[in-house]
Amino acid sequence: MTFIDRIERPEDFRHWFGDMEAQYVYTSGVAGDKFFTALKKGKFLGTKCDQCGKVYVPPRMYCEECFKALTEWIDIPNKGIVDTYTVVHVDRDENLLETPEIRAFIRMEGTDGGLVHKLDVPAEAVKIGMPVKAVFKKEKEREGRITDILYFAK
Amino acid sequence: MEKYPGEALSSKKMKEVTHEKWNPRVKYAWSCGEAMSRFLNELKKGKLIGRKCHSCGKIYFPPAMFCKFCFKPTDEWVYLPDTGKVMTYSISYLDMHANRIEEPILVGVIDIDGASENMGIMHYFGEMSPDDLTFGMKVKAVWKPEGERTGSVTDIKYFKPLEGSE
Repeated sequence: MTFIDRIERPEDFRHWFGDMEAQYVYTSGVAGDKFFTALKKGKFLGTKCDQCGKVYVPPRMYCEECFKALTEWIDIPNKGIVDTYTVVHVDRDENLLETPEIRAFIRMEGTDGGLVHKLDVPAEAVKIGMPVKAVFKKEKEREGRITDILYFAK
Repeated sequence: MEKYPGEALSSKKMKEVTHEKWNPRVKYAWSCGEAMSRFLNELKKGKLIGRKCHSCGKIYFPPAMFCKFCFKPTDEWVYLPDTGKVMTYSISYLDMHANRIEEPILVGVIDIDGASENMGIMHYFGEMSPDDLTFGMKVKAVWKPEGERTGSVTDIKYFKPLEGSE
């Protein structure tokens, strides 16, 4: 069983190039909106479960352990520790970076949560457990987004 | 809804609350293969082409190199006329981005004359009002001028009612 009909000139083979439109808007929700509005002012907010004592950063509306609505909002101090990190050598399009960057999960002190963010520490100096704090943009430039934090640093 | 916190967001309100907007770059290249490559190249010439299976006699349009009924390669290229019947249609008052529009877009699947049943291509309808559109109505392709054709299914602008039918 063979194909008798064949395309012999490779230029007759066609490719179809496309660009999928997949634009989206993600709104941060009730708790997220409070968190980002506070972030704009340079503050961290969290919610605490009065049943199990778990502290959520970023805040959540419900406790995932107790299924209870969370109503206690607490200010979280700008203190964190490096929980885990990755040394990134390429950008999003896989171009090699001149100086590797660090992305880390920073656990906020005294809470059960944390944030994934850039870490402004040389790659060879990062250690799990090292204390860091957020460095914010100038107040005027903040937009209520996670990028209002420039990076975390020692 | 009242027992839950929060509120439904209008598109205006959506811009007032904190949000992230993103437009991911989702590029792709689809290699058309033997049958579809020929199909697109023939469109550039202003022709419709199908593929015939000698065992079951089915004519595939758009063409396919393999018969899914007989599990064997198809055997022959056949040119088909640019006329057909409306198999299904839709009158859309929403554009591609879900915006409401005054003039509806008419789209549907056209069974090309000479091709086997339940094979067809999806395309626009033109030179008719939404009320004219009926199932089984005879239509004819309106082509772009030869110089503007690129070997794409949009080389056909739309299908119009076939004159002299009904």
